[in-house]
Amino acid sequence: MREEGNGLASRQQAVAAEIPRLRRYARALLGDDGEAEDLIQDTLERALARLQQWREGDNPRKWLFSILHNLHIDHLRRKSRRPPHVGLELLGTDQSSPSADAAGGDIDVALRHLSTEQREVVLLVGLEGLSYAETAEVLDIPVGTVMSRLARGRERLRTLMDYEGGGDRNGRTSLRRVK
Amino acid sequence: MTSPRRLSESELHALVDGELAPAEKADAEAAIATSPAEAAVVRELRELNSSIQARYTYKLKEPLTPVLESGLKRFRPPFRMRFARVATPIAAALALMAAGVAGYALQGRYATEPVQHEPPFVVTALAAHTTYVPEVRHAVEVKADEAHLIRWLTKRIGAEVRAPVLSDHGWKLMGGRLLPDHGLSAAQFMYEDHSGRRLTLYMRKELGLENTSFRFFERDGFGSFYWIDRPLAYALSGRLSREELMTLANVVYAKLETQIPKADQSPK
Repeated sequence: MREEGNGLASRQQAVAAEIPRLRRYARALLGDDGEAEDLIQDTLERALARLQQWREGDNPRKWLFSILHNLHIDHLRRKSRRPPHVGLELLGTDQSSPSADAAGGDIDVALRHLSTEQREVVLLVGLEGLSYAETAEVLDIPVGTVMSRLARGRERLRTLMDYEGGGDRNGRTSLRRVK
Repeated sequence: MTSPRRLSESELHALVDGELAPAEKADAEAAIATSPAEAAVVRELRELNSSIQARYTYKLKEPLTPVLESGLKRFRPPFRMRFARVATPIAAALALMAAGVAGYALQGRYATEPVQHEPPFVVTALAAHTTYVPEVRHAVEVKADEAHLIRWLTKRIGAEVRAPVLSDHGWKLMGGRLLPDHGLSAAQFMYEDHSGRRLTLYMRKELGLENTSFRFFERDGFGSFYWIDRPLAYALSGRLSREELMTLANVVYAKLETQIPKADQSPK
């Protein structure tokens, strides 16, 4: 068993080492530097309060991302007080038919057109490189849900980014959607 | 391999995301090889991921904001728990954060006149740092391998001093020296890394001020994280990035915490 102080120091370092990735993810998720910093600040604070509970050897990234995720949900709920649970899927989502104009070729703008839930999955997998299983754990949802959100989110992004331009529209649209 | 089956949408994503087992992957790759439409989708999905990554990479290199730094400073639970009776930890943390943010914000505006006055010992510590760090031959007074280094400085400082081992972080203890500091004696330990950068840990007895969390002081490109953990006041100085110095300050703090027996906790 290691000395408590050293254990804490190495945990602190492990947490500190994740901060750049957390910031990147928060910025991509929220689309706003200020809001992202607030979320990271809260994440650090909560991580601090729980540092003792974090078991050495646990993946700090997964742990921190799930703290961030839970806080993000809290933030969203506070924003849309009522009804508390409904609306997550819609927040930040423009349901009008998306067009390339909407994003202007900027993936950051395109991501704003996804639901929060789709955006989380698209970013955890595509930006952070988490596996489906890790993503499912971080978000506390089944792996199947990760996959379906991922598929829907990316489909929307491809449309927004106008990837189908160039001819092979048939090939693309004839893809079978598998549940 | 006669007529490869078509892949489901989720298989295409799984291929792009590296979620397929080797056999499945080979199978999927064979399938898309004969289907330009599916190959195009895979290409687009990959392109999507790389444009997401390219778009946000800049965040990885952004310096920490003051607010985040104050958040990091508070990654020191043992300290807070030990001094919990000073105030409730949360109130103390909030006060520190507010002071830090206000101080920093104002510092930015009135760069020459920082609102939050640094205690004199950190100014002395940084002066001692800049004086001795360039020394080639006489960087330290007593070398680290001399057994009496710690004993001697402990005796002269009037409180138990330690030089934490930082070799697992790439810093080798060179030795130390005794310095005057406003009528008190101070100890300076110097460390060096493989590239020749130097770091000093300065400490002297603290008689008046209360314990503090980490604070940062900077002058002429040299930075110092300082804190008071009675009976001693500490300053860790170097020409390092603030982030790197902060990390090391955390390490030093934690090591001092575990190395120094805290039996004699009362002041004096």
